[in-house]
Amino acid sequence: MRLHLISCEVFVREICAAISSSPHTVDVRFLPKGLHNEGGKAMRRVIQQAIDDARDVEHDAVLLGYGLCNNGLVGLRAGEKPLVAIRAHDCMTMFLGSRKKYTDFFFENPGTYFLTSGWIERGISGDQPPSEKGRHTSAYGMSWDELVQYYGEDNATYLVEQVEAETRHYSQLAYIHMGVEPDERFETESRRRASEKGWKFVRLEGNMTLIERLVNGQWDDEDFLVVPPGHEMAPTWGDDIIKAVGG
Amino acid sequence: MAVNEALYQAVASGKKKQVQQIVTEAVERGDEVLPLLDESMIPAMQEVGDKFSRGDAFIPEMLIAARAMQAGVDIIEPLLVNSGHKPVARVCIGTVKGDLHDIGKNLVIIMMKSAGFEVIDLGTDCEVEKYRDAVINQGAKVVLASALLSTTMTYMKTLVDGMKDLPDVPIVLGGAPLTQEYVDEIGAHGYGRDASDAVRIVKDLLAKTA
Repeated sequence: MRLHLISCEVFVREICAAISSSPHTVDVRFLPKGLHNEGGKAMRRVIQQAIDDARDVEHDAVLLGYGLCNNGLVGLRAGEKPLVAIRAHDCMTMFLGSRKKYTDFFFENPGTYFLTSGWIERGISGDQPPSEKGRHTSAYGMSWDELVQYYGEDNATYLVEQVEAETRHYSQLAYIHMGVEPDERFETESRRRASEKGWKFVRLEGNMTLIERLVNGQWDDEDFLVVPPGHEMAPTWGDDIIKAVGG
Repeated sequence: MAVNEALYQAVASGKKKQVQQIVTEAVERGDEVLPLLDESMIPAMQEVGDKFSRGDAFIPEMLIAARAMQAGVDIIEPLLVNSGHKPVARVCIGTVKGDLHDIGKNLVIIMMKSAGFEVIDLGTDCEVEKYRDAVINQGAKVVLASALLSTTMTYMKTLVDGMKDLPDVPIVLGGAPLTQEYVDEIGAHGYGRDASDAVRIVKDLLAKTA
Protein backbone atom coordinates (compact mmCIF):
# COMPACT_ATOMS: atom_id res chain seq x y z
CA MET A 1 0.00 0.00 0.00
CA ARG A 2 0.97 3.62 -0.33
CA LEU A 3 0.00 5.42 2.87
CA HIS A 4 -0.14 9.14 3.50
CA LEU A 5 0.57 10.00 7.13
CA ILE A 6 -0.30 13.38 8.62
CA SER A 7 1.24 13.70 12.05
CA CYS A 8 2.06 16.02 14.88
CA GLU A 9 5.78 16.72 14.82
CA VAL A 10 6.01 15.53 18.41
CA PHE A 11 6.37 12.02 16.91
CA VAL A 12 9.15 12.83 14.43
CA ARG A 13 11.73 10.38 15.79
CA GLU A 14 9.26 7.58 16.55
CA ILE A 15 7.40 7.80 13.24
CA CYS A 16 10.55 8.02 11.14
CA ALA A 17 11.92 4.96 12.97
CA ALA A 18 8.66 3.04 12.43
CA ILE A 19 8.40 3.99 8.75
CA SER A 20 11.92 2.76 8.11
CA SER A 21 10.78 -0.83 8.69
CA SER A 22 7.20 -0.59 7.39
CA PRO A 23 6.29 -3.02 4.59
CA HIS A 24 4.36 -0.17 2.97
CA THR A 25 5.42 3.04 1.26
CA VAL A 26 4.61 5.79 3.71
CA ASP A 27 4.64 9.46 2.80
CA VAL A 28 4.63 11.68 5.83
CA ARG A 29 3.73 15.27 6.48
CA PHE A 30 4.47 16.69 9.91
CA LEU A 31 2.41 19.60 11.25
CA PRO A 32 3.54 21.98 14.01
CA LYS A 33 3.34 20.73 17.59
CA GLY A 34 1.78 23.99 18.76
CA LEU A 35 -1.49 23.17 16.95
CA HIS A 36 -3.04 21.67 20.07
CA ASN A 37 -2.69 25.01 21.83
CA GLU A 38 -4.90 26.64 19.22
CA GLY A 39 -8.03 24.82 20.35
CA GLY A 40 -10.03 22.03 18.74
CA LYS A 41 -11.52 24.03 15.87
CA ALA A 42 -8.24 25.55 14.67
CA MET A 43 -6.51 22.18 14.92
CA ARG A 44 -9.28 20.49 12.95
CA ARG A 45 -9.12 23.15 10.23
CA VAL A 46 -5.39 22.70 9.69
CA ILE A 47 -5.53 18.88 9.72
CA GLN A 48 -8.55 18.84 7.40
CA GLN A 49 -6.66 21.04 4.99
CA ALA A 50 -3.76 18.57 5.10
CA ILE A 51 -6.18 15.70 4.41
CA ASP A 52 -7.71 17.62 1.51
CA ASP A 53 -4.23 18.41 0.15
CA ALA A 54 -3.56 14.65 0.02
CA ARG A 55 -6.11 14.37 -2.82
CA ASP A 56 -3.35 15.17 -5.25
CA VAL A 57 -1.08 12.44 -3.94
CA GLU A 58 -1.43 8.79 -4.90
CA HIS A 59 -2.36 6.82 -1.75
CA ASP A 60 -4.59 4.06 -0.36
CA ALA A 61 -5.34 5.59 3.04
CA VAL A 62 -4.63 8.69 5.09
CA LEU A 63 -3.17 7.99 8.55
CA LEU A 64 -3.33 10.39 11.47
CA GLY A 65 -0.50 10.72 13.96
CA TYR A 66 -2.76 12.34 16.55
CA GLY A 67 -4.84 11.52 19.58
CA LEU A 68 -8.29 13.05 20.07
CA CYS A 69 -6.31 16.00 21.50
CA ASN A 70 -9.15 18.00 23.05
CA ASN A 71 -11.46 17.23 20.16
CA GLY A 72 -8.99 18.44 17.56
CA LEU A 73 -9.97 15.43 15.43
CA VAL A 74 -13.74 15.79 15.84
CA GLY A 75 -15.45 16.49 12.55
CA LEU A 76 -12.51 15.51 10.34
CA ARG A 77 -13.84 14.12 7.08
CA ALA A 78 -12.27 11.32 5.07
CA GLY A 79 -11.82 12.15 1.39
CA GLU A 80 -11.93 9.50 -1.31
CA LYS A 81 -9.75 7.16 0.73
CA PRO A 82 -10.18 5.89 4.32
CA LEU A 83 -8.86 7.90 7.26
CA VAL A 84 -7.13 5.87 9.97
CA ALA A 85 -6.61 7.03 13.55
CA ILE A 86 -5.46 5.47 16.81
CA ARG A 87 -8.06 5.30 19.59
CA ALA A 88 -6.26 7.65 21.99
CA HIS A 89 -7.13 10.67 24.09
CA ASP A 90 -3.75 12.18 23.43
CA CYS A 91 -0.21 11.38 22.36
CA MET A 92 0.76 9.78 25.68
CA THR A 93 -1.31 6.72 24.79
CA MET A 94 0.69 6.45 21.57
CA PHE A 95 4.00 6.80 23.40
CA LEU A 96 3.02 4.24 26.03
CA GLY A 97 1.55 1.83 23.48
CA SER A 98 -1.82 1.29 25.16
CA ARG A 99 -4.66 3.52 26.27
CA LYS A 100 -5.27 1.35 29.33
CA LYS A 101 -1.66 1.76 30.38
CA TYR A 102 -1.94 5.54 29.97
CA THR A 103 -5.29 5.83 31.74
CA ASP A 104 -4.18 3.65 34.66
CA PHE A 105 -0.97 5.64 35.07
CA PHE A 106 -2.81 8.94 34.63
CA PHE A 107 -5.37 8.36 37.36
CA GLU A 108 -2.84 6.83 39.74
CA ASN A 109 -0.53 9.82 39.17
CA PRO A 110 -2.79 12.82 38.41
CA GLY A 111 -0.11 15.49 38.83
CA THR A 112 2.25 14.16 36.19
CA TYR A 113 3.88 16.18 33.43
CA PHE A 114 5.05 14.00 30.53
CA LEU A 115 8.08 14.55 28.32
CA THR A 116 9.52 12.73 25.33
CA SER A 117 12.22 13.70 22.84
CA GLY A 118 9.61 15.41 20.65
CA TRP A 119 8.15 17.35 23.55
CA ILE A 120 11.61 18.64 24.34
CA GLU A 121 13.05 19.41 20.92
CA ARG A 122 10.01 20.27 18.80
CA GLY A 123 7.75 23.31 18.51
CA ILE A 124 8.05 26.75 20.00
CA SER A 125 9.10 25.59 23.44
CA GLY A 126 11.79 23.41 21.90
CA ASP A 127 13.24 26.32 19.97
CA GLN A 128 13.12 28.88 22.76
CA PRO A 129 16.19 29.78 24.74
CA PRO A 130 15.93 28.31 28.23
CA SER A 131 14.54 31.41 29.93
CA GLU A 132 11.38 31.22 32.02
CA LYS A 133 9.64 33.91 29.99
CA GLY A 134 10.55 32.38 26.67
CA ARG A 135 9.26 28.97 27.62
CA HIS A 136 5.90 29.88 29.00
CA THR A 137 4.48 32.42 26.58
CA SER A 138 3.89 29.83 23.86
CA ALA A 139 0.45 28.95 25.26
CA TYR A 140 -0.85 32.36 24.17
CA GLY A 141 0.79 32.09 20.77
CA MET A 142 2.80 35.23 21.50
CA SER A 143 6.38 36.00 22.34
CA TRP A 144 7.30 37.80 25.55
CA ASP A 145 7.89 41.03 23.61
CA GLU A 146 4.45 40.81 22.03
CA LEU A 147 2.80 40.22 25.40
CA VAL A 148 4.55 43.33 26.76
CA GLN A 149 3.58 45.33 23.70
CA TYR A 150 -0.12 44.40 23.92
CA TYR A 151 -0.67 44.22 27.66
CA GLY A 152 2.20 46.03 29.39
CA GLU A 153 5.01 44.49 31.40
CA ASP A 154 3.07 44.06 34.63
CA ASN A 155 0.28 42.13 32.90
CA ALA A 156 2.74 40.19 30.73
CA THR A 157 4.52 39.00 33.88
CA TYR A 158 1.17 37.98 35.35
CA LEU A 159 0.16 36.11 32.17
CA VAL A 160 3.42 34.18 32.13
CA GLU A 161 2.86 33.29 35.80
CA GLN A 162 -0.59 31.97 34.90
CA VAL A 163 0.79 29.55 32.31
CA GLU A 164 3.32 28.47 34.89
CA ALA A 165 0.50 28.16 37.41
CA GLU A 166 -1.34 25.72 35.19
CA THR A 167 1.15 23.12 36.36
CA ARG A 168 1.40 24.34 39.95
CA HIS A 169 -0.50 21.31 41.21
CA TYR A 170 1.88 18.92 39.42
CA SER A 171 4.29 16.89 41.50
CA GLN A 172 6.00 14.55 39.08
CA LEU A 173 7.69 14.54 35.69
CA ALA A 174 7.59 11.34 33.68
CA TYR A 175 10.11 10.98 30.87
CA ILE A 176 9.02 8.36 28.36
CA HIS A 177 12.00 6.60 26.85
CA MET A 178 11.08 5.22 23.42
CA GLY A 179 14.34 3.56 22.43
CA VAL A 180 14.78 5.74 19.33
CA GLU A 181 16.83 8.43 21.05
CA PRO A 182 20.54 8.71 20.20
CA ASP A 183 21.75 8.94 23.80
CA GLU A 184 20.72 10.18 27.26
CA ARG A 185 20.35 13.84 26.29
CA PHE A 186 16.55 13.95 26.55
CA GLU A 187 16.47 12.07 29.83
CA THR A 188 19.13 14.39 31.21
CA GLU A 189 17.08 17.42 30.15
CA SER A 190 13.96 15.89 31.69
CA ARG A 191 15.78 15.28 34.97
CA ARG A 192 16.99 18.88 34.89
CA ARG A 193 13.48 20.22 34.38
CA ALA A 194 12.07 18.00 37.14
CA SER A 195 14.76 19.20 39.51
CA GLU A 196 14.16 22.85 38.53
CA LYS A 197 10.47 22.43 39.38
CA GLY A 198 11.09 20.42 42.51
CA TRP A 199 9.14 17.49 41.02
CA LYS A 200 9.82 13.81 41.41
CA PHE A 201 11.39 12.29 38.29
CA VAL A 202 10.31 8.95 36.87
CA ARG A 203 11.43 7.22 33.71
CA LEU A 204 8.82 5.18 31.88
CA GLU A 205 9.60 2.73 29.14
CA GLY A 206 7.63 3.65 26.04
CA ASN A 207 6.19 1.19 23.58
CA MET A 208 6.25 1.65 19.83
CA THR A 209 3.46 -0.87 19.15
CA LEU A 210 0.65 1.55 18.27
CA ILE A 211 2.85 3.74 16.08
CA GLU A 212 4.29 0.70 14.31
CA ARG A 213 0.88 -0.86 13.72
CA LEU A 214 -0.35 2.47 12.33
CA VAL A 215 2.32 2.58 9.62
CA ASN A 216 2.32 -1.21 9.10
CA GLY A 217 -1.38 -1.27 8.20
CA GLN A 218 -2.40 -3.45 11.18
CA TRP A 219 -5.55 -1.56 12.07
CA ASP A 220 -7.63 -3.81 14.30
CA ASP A 221 -10.84 -2.30 15.64
CA GLU A 222 -9.75 -2.51 19.27
CA ASP A 223 -7.03 0.12 18.90
CA PHE A 224 -7.78 1.81 15.57
CA LEU A 225 -10.64 3.57 13.85
CA VAL A 226 -10.92 3.36 10.09
CA VAL A 227 -13.20 6.14 8.85
CA PRO A 228 -14.72 5.16 5.49
CA PRO A 229 -14.57 7.65 2.59
CA GLY A 230 -16.93 10.57 3.06
CA HIS A 231 -17.53 9.83 6.75
CA GLU A 232 -16.53 12.00 9.71
CA MET A 233 -14.81 11.39 13.02
CA ALA A 234 -16.78 11.91 16.24
CA PRO A 235 -16.10 11.31 19.93
CA THR A 236 -17.89 8.38 21.62
CA TRP A 237 -17.42 9.67 25.22
CA GLY A 238 -16.55 6.08 26.08
CA ASP A 239 -13.56 3.77 26.25
CA ASP A 240 -13.36 3.43 22.46
CA ILE A 241 -12.90 7.26 22.28
CA ILE A 242 -13.69 7.84 18.59
CA LYS A 243 -16.17 6.62 15.97
CA ALA A 244 -17.11 7.28 12.36
CA VAL A 245 -20.40 9.01 11.59
CA GLY A 246 -22.39 10.24 8.58
CA GLY A 247 -21.48 9.49 5.04
CA MET B 1 -24.61 57.02 40.13
CA ALA B 2 -23.62 56.81 36.50
CA VAL B 3 -20.96 54.55 35.09
CA ASN B 4 -17.52 55.53 36.27
CA GLU B 5 -16.01 55.57 32.80
CA ALA B 6 -12.39 55.55 33.99
CA LEU B 7 -13.04 52.55 36.24
CA TYR B 8 -14.94 50.76 33.50
CA GLN B 9 -12.09 51.23 31.04
CA ALA B 10 -9.45 50.28 33.59
CA VAL B 11 -11.18 46.95 34.31
CA ALA B 12 -11.95 46.23 30.66
CA SER B 13 -8.35 46.84 29.62
CA GLY B 14 -6.89 45.00 32.61
CA LYS B 15 -5.18 47.98 34.27
CA LYS B 16 -4.91 46.68 37.80
CA LYS B 17 -3.09 49.62 39.37
CA GLN B 18 -5.52 52.12 37.87
CA VAL B 19 -8.45 50.12 39.22
CA GLN B 20 -6.92 50.08 42.68
CA GLN B 21 -6.25 53.80 42.53
CA ILE B 22 -9.72 54.75 41.32
CA VAL B 23 -11.50 52.51 43.83
CA THR B 24 -9.30 53.63 46.71
CA GLU B 25 -9.94 57.28 45.90
CA ALA B 26 -13.68 56.65 45.67
CA VAL B 27 -13.68 54.88 49.04
CA GLU B 28 -11.67 57.68 50.61
CA ARG B 29 -14.13 60.23 49.23
CA GLY B 30 -16.87 58.26 50.92
CA ASP B 31 -18.60 57.25 47.67
CA GLU B 32 -21.05 54.36 47.85
CA VAL B 33 -19.14 51.24 46.91
CA LEU B 34 -21.92 49.03 45.57
CA PRO B 35 -22.51 51.15 42.44
CA LEU B 36 -18.79 51.03 41.66
CA LEU B 37 -19.16 47.29 41.46
CA ASP B 38 -22.64 47.03 39.91
CA GLU B 39 -22.47 49.86 37.41
CA SER B 40 -18.82 49.97 36.36
CA MET B 41 -16.72 46.94 37.25
CA ILE B 42 -19.27 44.18 36.62
CA PRO B 43 -20.45 45.56 33.26
CA ALA B 44 -16.81 46.01 32.21
CA MET B 45 -16.00 42.40 33.07
CA GLN B 46 -19.16 41.27 31.35
CA GLU B 47 -18.18 43.14 28.23
CA VAL B 48 -14.82 41.37 28.17
CA GLY B 49 -16.61 38.05 28.77
CA ASP B 50 -19.04 38.75 25.93
CA LYS B 51 -16.19 39.71 23.61
CA PHE B 52 -14.49 36.45 24.53
CA SER B 53 -17.69 34.55 23.72
CA ARG B 54 -17.80 36.22 20.28
CA GLY B 55 -14.14 35.51 19.62
CA ASP B 56 -13.21 39.21 19.79
CA ALA B 57 -11.12 38.78 22.94
CA PHE B 58 -8.79 36.02 24.05
CA ILE B 59 -7.64 34.31 27.21
CA PRO B 60 -4.99 36.95 28.05
CA GLU B 61 -7.61 39.74 27.89
CA MET B 62 -9.93 37.73 30.16
CA LEU B 63 -7.15 36.99 32.61
CA ILE B 64 -5.89 40.54 32.96
CA ALA B 65 -9.40 42.01 33.19
CA ALA B 66 -10.30 39.43 35.86
CA ARG B 67 -7.15 40.28 37.77
CA ALA B 68 -7.86 44.02 37.60
CA MET B 69 -11.44 43.44 38.70
CA GLN B 70 -10.34 41.23 41.58
CA ALA B 71 -7.95 43.96 42.77
CA GLY B 72 -10.91 46.34 42.95
CA VAL B 73 -13.20 43.78 44.57
CA ASP B 74 -10.57 43.09 47.25
CA ILE B 75 -10.81 46.73 48.34
CA ILE B 76 -14.60 46.86 48.18
CA GLU B 77 -15.49 43.44 49.59
CA PRO B 78 -15.09 44.20 53.33
CA LEU B 79 -17.25 47.30 52.89
CA LEU B 80 -19.94 45.32 51.05
CA VAL B 81 -20.25 42.87 53.93
CA ASN B 82 -20.83 45.78 56.30
CA SER B 83 -23.44 47.25 53.98
CA GLY B 84 -25.55 44.09 54.28
CA HIS B 85 -25.02 43.13 50.64
CA LYS B 86 -26.54 39.66 50.04
CA PRO B 87 -25.25 37.24 47.42
CA VAL B 88 -27.60 36.00 44.69
CA ALA B 89 -26.98 32.37 45.67
CA ARG B 90 -24.22 30.10 46.87
CA VAL B 91 -22.66 27.75 44.34
CA CYS B 92 -19.68 25.40 44.39
CA ILE B 93 -17.10 24.73 41.70
CA GLY B 94 -14.16 22.40 41.22
CA THR B 95 -12.21 20.58 38.51
CA VAL B 96 -13.07 16.87 38.32
CA LYS B 97 -11.04 13.96 39.58
CA GLY B 98 -7.66 13.63 37.87
CA ASP B 99 -7.77 17.15 36.42
CA LEU B 100 -5.44 19.71 37.96
CA HIS B 101 -5.99 22.52 35.45
CA ASP B 102 -7.82 25.43 37.00
CA ILE B 103 -7.32 28.58 34.94
CA GLY B 104 -10.75 28.16 33.35
CA LYS B 105 -12.37 27.33 36.66
CA ASN B 106 -10.81 30.44 38.22
CA LEU B 107 -12.16 32.62 35.40
CA VAL B 108 -15.63 31.21 36.03
CA ILE B 109 -15.26 32.04 39.73
CA ILE B 110 -14.45 35.65 38.88
CA MET B 111 -17.42 35.89 36.50
CA MET B 112 -19.76 34.26 39.03
CA LYS B 113 -18.60 36.61 41.78
CA SER B 114 -19.00 39.51 39.35
CA ALA B 115 -22.60 38.45 38.88
CA GLY B 116 -23.16 38.50 42.64
CA PHE B 117 -22.82 34.81 43.51
CA GLU B 118 -21.05 33.44 46.55
CA VAL B 119 -18.66 30.77 45.30
CA ILE B 120 -17.27 27.83 47.25
CA ASP B 121 -14.02 26.96 45.50
CA LEU B 122 -13.49 23.21 45.86
CA GLY B 123 -10.14 23.40 44.07
CA THR B 124 -8.84 20.72 41.73
CA ASP B 125 -9.04 16.91 41.46
CA CYS B 126 -12.50 16.71 43.10
CA GLU B 127 -14.28 13.44 43.68
CA VAL B 128 -18.07 13.25 43.86
CA GLU B 129 -18.02 13.36 47.67
CA LYS B 130 -16.47 16.81 47.65
CA TYR B 131 -19.29 18.26 45.52
CA ARG B 132 -21.89 16.43 47.63
CA ASP B 133 -20.42 17.85 50.82
CA ALA B 134 -20.61 21.39 49.40
CA VAL B 135 -24.30 20.85 48.61
CA ILE B 136 -25.38 18.94 51.72
CA ASN B 137 -23.26 20.64 54.38
CA GLN B 138 -22.41 24.03 52.91
CA GLY B 139 -25.62 24.93 51.12
CA ALA B 140 -24.43 25.12 47.50
CA LYS B 141 -27.47 25.51 45.22
CA VAL B 142 -25.63 24.74 41.99
CA VAL B 143 -22.66 22.46 41.25
CA LEU B 144 -20.17 23.59 38.62
CA ALA B 145 -17.43 21.29 37.38
CA SER B 146 -14.74 21.62 34.75
CA ALA B 147 -12.25 19.41 32.91
CA LEU B 148 -9.50 20.41 30.52
CA LEU B 149 -8.72 16.94 29.19
CA SER B 150 -10.92 14.44 27.39
CA THR B 151 -9.24 11.85 29.64
CA THR B 152 -10.72 13.43 32.79
CA MET B 153 -13.95 14.61 31.19
CA THR B 154 -15.31 11.06 31.44
CA TYR B 155 -15.44 11.48 35.25
CA MET B 156 -18.28 13.96 34.74
CA LYS B 157 -20.64 11.06 34.12
CA THR B 158 -19.59 9.62 37.49
CA LEU B 159 -20.31 13.02 39.03
CA VAL B 160 -23.77 13.30 37.46
CA ASP B 161 -24.65 9.73 38.46
CA GLY B 162 -23.39 10.37 41.99
CA MET B 163 -25.67 13.41 42.40
CA LYS B 164 -28.88 11.74 41.23
CA ASP B 165 -30.39 11.67 44.73
CA LEU B 166 -30.07 15.48 44.80
CA PRO B 167 -32.24 16.30 41.78
CA ASP B 168 -32.95 19.89 42.87
CA VAL B 169 -29.31 20.86 42.51
CA PRO B 170 -28.43 21.68 38.90
CA ILE B 171 -25.05 20.54 37.59
CA VAL B 172 -23.35 22.85 35.10
CA LEU B 173 -20.29 21.63 33.24
CA GLY B 174 -17.56 23.28 31.19
CA GLY B 175 -14.06 22.89 29.80
CA ALA B 176 -12.20 22.70 26.52
CA PRO B 177 -13.18 19.17 25.38
CA LEU B 178 -16.87 19.42 26.31
CA THR B 179 -19.82 19.83 23.99
CA GLN B 180 -23.55 20.35 24.53
CA GLU B 181 -24.10 16.89 23.10
CA TYR B 182 -21.90 15.26 25.74
CA VAL B 183 -23.50 17.22 28.57
CA ASP B 184 -26.98 16.20 27.38
CA GLU B 185 -25.93 12.60 26.96
CA ILE B 186 -24.67 12.20 30.54
CA GLY B 187 -27.73 14.02 31.90
CA ALA B 188 -26.20 17.18 33.36
CA HIS B 189 -28.36 20.31 33.46
CA GLY B 190 -26.23 22.88 31.70
CA TYR B 191 -23.16 23.47 29.57
CA GLY B 192 -21.16 26.66 29.85
CA ARG B 193 -19.24 27.25 26.63
CA ASP B 194 -17.13 29.82 28.44
CA ALA B 195 -17.09 31.77 31.69
CA SER B 196 -19.79 34.29 30.70
CA ASP B 197 -21.99 31.57 29.33
CA ALA B 198 -21.66 29.59 32.58
CA VAL B 199 -23.06 32.56 34.52
CA ARG B 200 -25.99 32.89 32.14
CA ILE B 201 -26.76 29.17 32.37
CA VAL B 202 -26.63 29.17 36.17
CA LYS B 203 -28.96 32.17 36.34
CA ASP B 204 -31.42 30.51 33.94
CA LEU B 205 -31.41 27.24 35.89
CA LEU B 206 -31.94 29.00 39.21
CA ALA B 207 -34.79 31.04 37.71
CA LYS B 208 -36.49 27.80 36.65
CA THR B 209 -36.15 26.16 40.05
CA ALA B 210 -37.14 29.29 41.99
